[in-house]
Amino acid sequence: MTQVELAGTTGLSPATVSNIVKELSGSGVLHTSVTSRSGRRATLVTLSHEIGLVAGVHFSSRHLRIAIADASTAVVAETHVPLSLDHRHDAELDRVVLLLGDMCDSLGTEIPDLLAVGLGIPAPVDRRTGMVSTPGLLRGWEGIDVGGSLEARVGLPVFVDSEANLGGLAEVRSGAAREAPAAAFIHVGHHISAALMIDGTPFHGVTGKAGQIGHVTIDENGPICRCGNRGCLETLAAGPALLDLFREDAGMHRVTDLVHAAEDGDASSQRVIADAGRHIGIAAANLSNLFDPERIVVGGELGLAGETLLAPLRHALERSALASADGIPEVVTASWADRAALQGAIALALENAPMPIEIADKTPA
Amino acid sequence: MTVTSPTKQSGGRPHENVLRLRGVSKRFGAVQALKDIELDVHQGEVVALVGDNGAGKSTLVKVLAGVHPPDSGEIEFEGRTVSIQSPTDSRDLGIATVYQDLALCDNLDVVSNLWLGQELTRGGTLDEVEMEQRSWSLLRELSAKIPSVRIAVASLSGGQRQTVAIARSLIGEPSIVILDEPTAALGVAQTAEVLNLVERLRERGHGVILISHNMADVMAVADRVVVLRLGRNNGTFRVSDVTSETIISAITGATDNAVTRRAAAKTAATPVPGDDLDEEPEA
Repeated sequence: MTQVELAGTTGLSPATVSNIVKELSGSGVLHTSVTSRSGRRATLVTLSHEIGLVAGVHFSSRHLRIAIADASTAVVAETHVPLSLDHRHDAELDRVVLLLGDMCDSLGTEIPDLLAVGLGIPAPVDRRTGMVSTPGLLRGWEGIDVGGSLEARVGLPVFVDSEANLGGLAEVRSGAAREAPAAAFIHVGHHISAALMIDGTPFHGVTGKAGQIGHVTIDENGPICRCGNRGCLETLAAGPALLDLFREDAGMHRVTDLVHAAEDGDASSQRVIADAGRHIGIAAANLSNLFDPERIVVGGELGLAGETLLAPLRHALERSALASADGIPEVVTASWADRAALQGAIALALENAPMPIEIADKTPA
Repeated sequence: MTVTSPTKQSGGRPHENVLRLRGVSKRFGAVQALKDIELDVHQGEVVALVGDNGAGKSTLVKVLAGVHPPDSGEIEFEGRTVSIQSPTDSRDLGIATVYQDLALCDNLDVVSNLWLGQELTRGGTLDEVEMEQRSWSLLRELSAKIPSVRIAVASLSGGQRQTVAIARSLIGEPSIVILDEPTAALGVAQTAEVLNLVERLRERGHGVILISHNMADVMAVADRVVVLRLGRNNGTFRVSDVTSETIISAITGATDNAVTRRAAAKTAATPVPGDDLDEEPEA
């Protein structure tokens, strides 16, 4: 924002804004640079990097994404790596440290200068112990304090949550669910899970399992799920179940292949995605009967299919959810697409990071 | 530049079988290097070729690259039976190989390396502008992190050099790209760069044959894994179905040795009762 825009938004006089900006940039909180607006010289005001940078780390089932962001959540460095399906905590956390070190190097800083790390993993996390809540959901990461383990490696405060909760956090802070008092974020990709966002924070439950919509029973006699039950939503609508239908097809190995094929007009891919949408819609109807969200945001890799997935989802939701005067909850795609959890990890780190500079002392009384 | 494959369909599916090897054998004197090898590679598919030292991976690559013509067997390329007698045959078909040593000229800049031996000319002189522009667009398409295309390759990092070598193999828009140990001797960040590059190749519709000893890398980017053991096929796996332990046991022969063969012969002789009961009722 420029100084003039700041004055416009806050209603303060330009002189007051100029004074405040001068004072804050003197204390290192703000950074000013010259730019132009409608052809005129203007002063661009941003939060200074010196307040600190945080790192967001997101392990999805097949990808590791790492970003370093400044205090305004703007990403200044980002990297990602494809992962094998059965990734394990020790090797992968070591890799995070090495990659983070490299990224800090390229920014001219060091890991200890970061304020905090936000970490997302594709399984619910018990906040009392820092471990994965349910055995079977993420085999390579069970039985260890995930956050503590990374904390010991980087020497920084680490905040951990599930990728669904982080995705929800990103969408509530700066995405499709902004200003919704109650919203649900459904992550549909290799796994299916949801975040229940109440007044801007995820509801965790006692052991962190809240929102595990992927393990809602859809078919009592259905296929056996990795969680140990039968007929869970995941066995019908998650990535592996959908791709299994294309076993004969050599070019169909990833969820993104399926989405691309559907975009290219392949009828069977569209049908398979639509069927997944229908199943998710039934689970989403149960969810909205229990939780009554204002908006349901659908993210994750399969969420990239857009209306191919959402239209049947909405239809199933309409059929099975209790209607209210406002109709059914609004179903929208995630505005952060498949980067939601990464952005959420950054937000989590920023919101919990210890502030290095005492801003309150230096602002005019 | 577009993916110019004559068999590319508008629907995106089904993916065409680009390369098909059946019964390929190669013998060096008394050594049977390859025996009855089968291999399929489809459009937009990453096939990892793994095996212990001496399993025949490199020989198979050299057969495909035209260095060693096979003694017997059939090679089909895009549905036609072909014979690969020389590296030129291989390149003309659309098979590009990136060797472990990359074969880059350290003293030349990125553009010169990319177009070495296939320079564009206009009116008898080198068309530097066109070459530089096409280099940029190719590198951008691969999301390559190269600071400038006019710096000598010697000053690039290991990952960037690998990127340049892979980009060079794409100049002729090949259908198959063979990468021989692309992540060996690279750091973690450079490995990440190369793995992302393999994903890009896959998205562009190239068939990729990836040779690697690193199981984590193989499991991260490959769609199928073909295991060679002592010059023979020892199993083909879909990555989504198996763990790296299964593949390692196939590489080392833990799944196929004298003991297991004897056990298999025994069970085959006496059929297990209730063998026909394990079908899914609702399938």
